[in-house]
Amino acid sequence: MHGARGALLVVLVAVIVFLAVPSALAQCELGVDRIRFGGQGVLTGPLADYGRQIQMGMQLAIEEINAAGGILGCQLEMRFLDSELAPAVGVRNARQLADWGAHFFVGTDSSGVAMALGPVLQELDIIQFFTHAATHRLTEELVYEQGIKQIVRVAAPIYQDAVGALVVKDMPEVKRWATIGADYEYGYVAWQMFKDLLKRHRPDVEFVAEAWAPFFTMDFTPHIASVMAANPDGIFVTPWGGEAVMVLRQALQMGVFDRIQVWWQSMGGSVDALEGLTREIQADQFKGKLWASARYIHNWPDTEMNRRFVEAFQNRWARLPNYSAESAYSSIYIAKAAVEKARSLETDAIIAALQDMVIETPAGVRVFRNEDHQFEYAVPAGRAMYDPGYPIAILGDLRVFDTSEYWRYPPFPPLD
Amino acid sequence: MKAGPAPQAAATGAARIVYGLALVILLVLPFVSSTYTQYLVIHMMMLAIYALGFNLLFGYTGLLSFGQAAFYGIGAYVCAGILLRYPSLLAGILGGVAAAAAVALIIGLLSVRHTRIYFTMLTLAFGMLVYSVLWKWRAVTGGDDGLVGIPRAPLDFFGLAVIPVRTVTSFYFFVLAVTLVALFVLHRIVHSPFGLSLQGIRDSEVRSQFVGVHVRKHRLLAFIIAGAYAGLAGALLAPLESAVTPVISHWSHSGDAVLVTLLGGVRAFFGPAIGAVLFVVIRELVVRITEYWQLVMGIIVVVLVLGFRGGMAQAVMDGWQRWVVHGLAQRQPPVPAQVQAPAPVGQAQARVERGEEP
Amino acid sequence: MSFQVLLYQGLVGLSSAMYLWLLSAGLTIVFGVLGVLNFAHGAFFMIGAYLAYTFYGILGFNLAVSIALSLVGTAVIGVLVERFLVKPIMHLDHAFQLLLTFGLVLIFDDLAKAIWGGVFMIPPMPRVFQGAVWILGTPFPIYNLFVIGAGVAVWLLLWLLFEKTWWGRIVRATAADPQMAAALGVDVKRLYTGVFALGVMLAALGGALGTPVRVVAPGMGSFMIVQAFIVTVLGGLGSLTGAFVGALLVGVLSSYGTLLFPTVELALIYLIMAVVLLVRPHGLFGRARA
Repeated sequence: MHGARGALLVVLVAVIVFLAVPSALAQCELGVDRIRFGGQGVLTGPLADYGRQIQMGMQLAIEEINAAGGILGCQLEMRFLDSELAPAVGVRNARQLADWGAHFFVGTDSSGVAMALGPVLQELDIIQFFTHAATHRLTEELVYEQGIKQIVRVAAPIYQDAVGALVVKDMPEVKRWATIGADYEYGYVAWQMFKDLLKRHRPDVEFVAEAWAPFFTMDFTPHIASVMAANPDGIFVTPWGGEAVMVLRQALQMGVFDRIQVWWQSMGGSVDALEGLTREIQADQFKGKLWASARYIHNWPDTEMNRRFVEAFQNRWARLPNYSAESAYSSIYIAKAAVEKARSLETDAIIAALQDMVIETPAGVRVFRNEDHQFEYAVPAGRAMYDPGYPIAILGDLRVFDTSEYWRYPPFPPLD
Repeated sequence: MKAGPAPQAAATGAARIVYGLALVILLVLPFVSSTYTQYLVIHMMMLAIYALGFNLLFGYTGLLSFGQAAFYGIGAYVCAGILLRYPSLLAGILGGVAAAAAVALIIGLLSVRHTRIYFTMLTLAFGMLVYSVLWKWRAVTGGDDGLVGIPRAPLDFFGLAVIPVRTVTSFYFFVLAVTLVALFVLHRIVHSPFGLSLQGIRDSEVRSQFVGVHVRKHRLLAFIIAGAYAGLAGALLAPLESAVTPVISHWSHSGDAVLVTLLGGVRAFFGPAIGAVLFVVIRELVVRITEYWQLVMGIIVVVLVLGFRGGMAQAVMDGWQRWVVHGLAQRQPPVPAQVQAPAPVGQAQARVERGEEP
Repeated sequence: MSFQVLLYQGLVGLSSAMYLWLLSAGLTIVFGVLGVLNFAHGAFFMIGAYLAYTFYGILGFNLAVSIALSLVGTAVIGVLVERFLVKPIMHLDHAFQLLLTFGLVLIFDDLAKAIWGGVFMIPPMPRVFQGAVWILGTPFPIYNLFVIGAGVAVWLLLWLLFEKTWWGRIVRATAADPQMAAALGVDVKRLYTGVFALGVMLAALGGALGTPVRVVAPGMGSFMIVQAFIVTVLGGLGSLTGAFVGALLVGVLSSYGTLLFPTVELALIYLIMAVVLLVRPHGLFGRARA
């Protein structure tokens, strides 16, 4: 048996040498063995798809970049943790990922987690590319006012939720508005921004009823009933994700779509919501009255880059990309562009490289806003409809607006 | 017949060595480990304070409160509010503890008339009421986004001495000092006549009344102390994380105090502290191995309740009994079973097991 | 605010109260007879929903059959849980019961996520229930009427079961004095298993009935369980009438709260319980237990 063992040893040594030599020859110009991206998003509970999409977007980008030779010759790697939508967990994850050696963070879903992370990012001196959390306070307060430069937001913030006002301003018969609101910051602020924008264009509009539904509400019938009692023409609805599906189905049952003219669904263009409502949309149960937007929709813009991204995503994951996936994917590419320009991983160098950056991404051209580190880009609003070219319902009849019509700009005026 | 007291004394002696060792480790830790480890140990200490206060109410007085997180939240928010306007760590912490104790007084007055499950549910309800206020009173508490940017203000002894605690390591030593003081104070409380009365009330309310103990007042005082400890833990959170959100007052966070205490052992003084260490360690390990951390935690809990109801402390003490007593017995003439040192857990545990009125 | 609107809002509250009633009924029965506080009751609600979804939404059976099968499936799981996990803790302090059953919740939530995936699921609404009836000038979903009917029917059936049948009498006797019942030849262990199975079937029914109008997701039971505990306690632990009245109170008041006092909705259920307990320390229909 000595012969066999000897042969095995030679093979083993050969394999080791074979593996070691290429890495010895690899030329990562930044002096690290790998560039590490730490991600987090919600992976448990009814909103779990959003975290999963962030993970999928990150992984796709990293795999593509690694296959093309990495960033300045350095390979990328990632680790993803569940933020459980809890700020305490989000903060702990960030520290754990920093301990792992993350150079950049990507994520998260909840605004509460994002706000809690702000000061920690400053302490750890690690830049996070925010992919979902929508609160205006993240950029307006933490970056613009308090100067936490480690925050960079890639996804369109809550300003996007007001875009519906620009669509409905041209509907003269829609005068009475009500809201079924998510009973937390997002719901209050989105409604406020929508009202402010709409009033500017249509002083004749009235706001007639409000019903507020806390997180994890399953039964929206009391809220729908209380809002319908005021006979609104339009309803602005902020519970999103699975809750959006529930409130819409329950509203259908209550004959709401026979009585109102418009239902504006926040984040109704999100993949999970459209998947859940495809049957009803296909049967035109919403009578063309269901309008929505998102922070990116896969069918706009019709550019080569977007088409390639959607196709690659579908091939890799057998699903359509959601907006959190696209912003995570774009975050990695933005980081790549910044690192290549700065030729460094240092925070200040990266921030300097991001200044005035204009970069093409699947969602369109994104422009970096120096004052508050927010990437600016347009997302259309549309009507929920069924198109046989897609496996699920989509937003069609798209209206695109210039961001200057509905975004907020520095110096930010106080809200209400 | 020397076998009786010897294992007991040996146990106490050994316990002292273990505590001493633990103290040394805690003092030396920052010099041999990463900031992240220190951060985790700070959390263990805060959790220990929280659970130790809870256990005064549960293990010693027999009242299961599912609303301790309310006081934790109040301590955190009041400290945050103070630090944002007047950056003195001492003021923030004292303010937080005082506010928590005050609210505990009010809630306690309403709750201690009830017992058992009704007491528990009332505390749950009040806890969630505090949570709702923290969530909805946006103008003051920042709503669900909470208060952010809380400074890790220096420790300012009325201008006489100012100790900065910005770094994780310096904050670590601060929390360690606070924890040791809190432990000492609680130890004195538990071993005082007041503490003994509490245990008497736990074991038999009726007999305590006959002996002249004012049951309701004692329960209320225990409730306030538990609330103050929860408030202290919360007040330490604000400068550590620089942010506070309403979810720290949710009933599930109250549940953490219960879980940690049962994990470490209800009837041992240091049980909750041991539980705090175990809880943080298990959670860290499990999260790195699997996404299904709830499953693992759930299995641990089930196994614990089925097999180790005295928690880790009991398991360790039983193990100690077995080898030391067994070991000593091997060097001495055999001893009849009843002379064996009684487990510190005592009769009350056995009563609980039989389902009698605590 | 017209009278019609108020009445309609009350009706809406009634239908949401029914899910709560079904969940609380099982909880209070199990506590009343076995003396066990089962925090995992909400997990059985979730299992009932998932099983019903599997049969109805994935395998395509009709709704009634799916619900029936989900009840059977949940009962089987319930019996296993009772035999191996509940029996050993029956005599323990409530804290340990809550803790063990809480551990079960964690296990079931993750198992659901592992088996069915983390994304929420929504089955279609059966054709017979689509649409609405006109009540007070507003469409009221037929499905909601059905749920109200089902809830009331369950109450009547349970009342009949416990008051008028032989088994029901034995259960009541055992609940009052288990030792005497055992001495008289009742197989108390088997009885407990049976009652536990009944309890979890009621929870599963609540979950299964919700499937066409709600999403099915891991952790859906955890939110409802606290509400069920509150209803059970405020109605009086062990009292079926108490659970029914408590559920109606909470459901209807919450519905009015949404309409008239929107700021308080988050806290309303806790406020109601605190007020009830302060006035009647053992709940509306509860008695001091020995």
